Amino acid sequence: MTQLNASRDEVRVNVVSEGKPGLLGIGAEEAKIIVERLTPMPEPEENEAEMEEGVAGIAESILERLLALMELEATVQRQIFQTTNGEEQISSPLAFDVLGDDLGILIGRRGQTLATLQYMLRLMVSHQTKVWTPIVVDVEGYKKRRSEALQALAVRMAEQVRTRGTPFTLEPMPAYERRIIHLALADHPHVTTQSIGEGDFRKVVILPERD
Amino acid sequence: MKDLVEYIAKSIVNAPDDVQVTEEEDDQGIILKLQVADDDKGRVIGKQGRIAEAMRTLIRVKAAKAGTRATLEIV
Repeated sequence: MTQLNASRDEVRVNVVSEGKPGLLGIGAEEAKIIVERLTPMPEPEENEAEMEEGVAGIAESILERLLALMELEATVQRQIFQTTNGEEQISSPLAFDVLGDDLGILIGRRGQTLATLQYMLRLMVSHQTKVWTPIVVDVEGYKKRRSEALQALAVRMAEQVRTRGTPFTLEPMPAYERRIIHLALADHPHVTTQSIGEGDFRKVVILPERD
Repeated sequence: MKDLVEYIAKSIVNAPDDVQVTEEEDDQGIILKLQVADDDKGRVIGKQGRIAEAMRTLIRVKAAKAGTRATLEIV
């Protein structure tokens, strides 16, 4: 069993001959058995999880190396959290938070440098692992704070649209920020949302629901 | 500055041994020249230069920290 790297319940043991205990170890015969593995190893699910762990390790060390080469004093923390989508619990993708002092430079104007860092990390990791893995990089919880601020803004503006009955256009935002607004108001009974404009100028409009 | 470009480039090309980076300095700041195998040129430039631009953004962070400027050319 040790040779097969299997536990007792993963194998079937067929006894070929019982063996003899002998007397005081004299004339003893070893038992002959055939050990068969019952379960294929490793199980597919475990395999996937293990692979993801491998990717996480690779991603973490690449990110640490990048930060070191950029001469930034920062530490990388793996983020493990669950997000809920209605009733359903979905486990989040691979996510890291970069912690340190004075990292504003790594966030950049409207998070653009941070977005670039995330893009580059995904590129480097996927080239090494040959699997495209969505990885989220945050700096000092910037995205989290920004997401909360955007959700609050969305709710506030939706209320204004509802009372005034006129559409409100938000400032231009990158795709993932617009998505936060759309999701925040998806179930709102009195307004709908829509994105207008092209490229860097794309923005969300909150419209009153006509009924 | 060179080591950052080298590390990124080597991680995204198929022929890392062919990656060469030279570093020069003039009154404008640091000029980095990145050379890769012909087949890998697209991998360091990207569609509409997106990858090259991403490398420039990260180099800019490092240069700003060091109080200088840096440009990246792909040759």
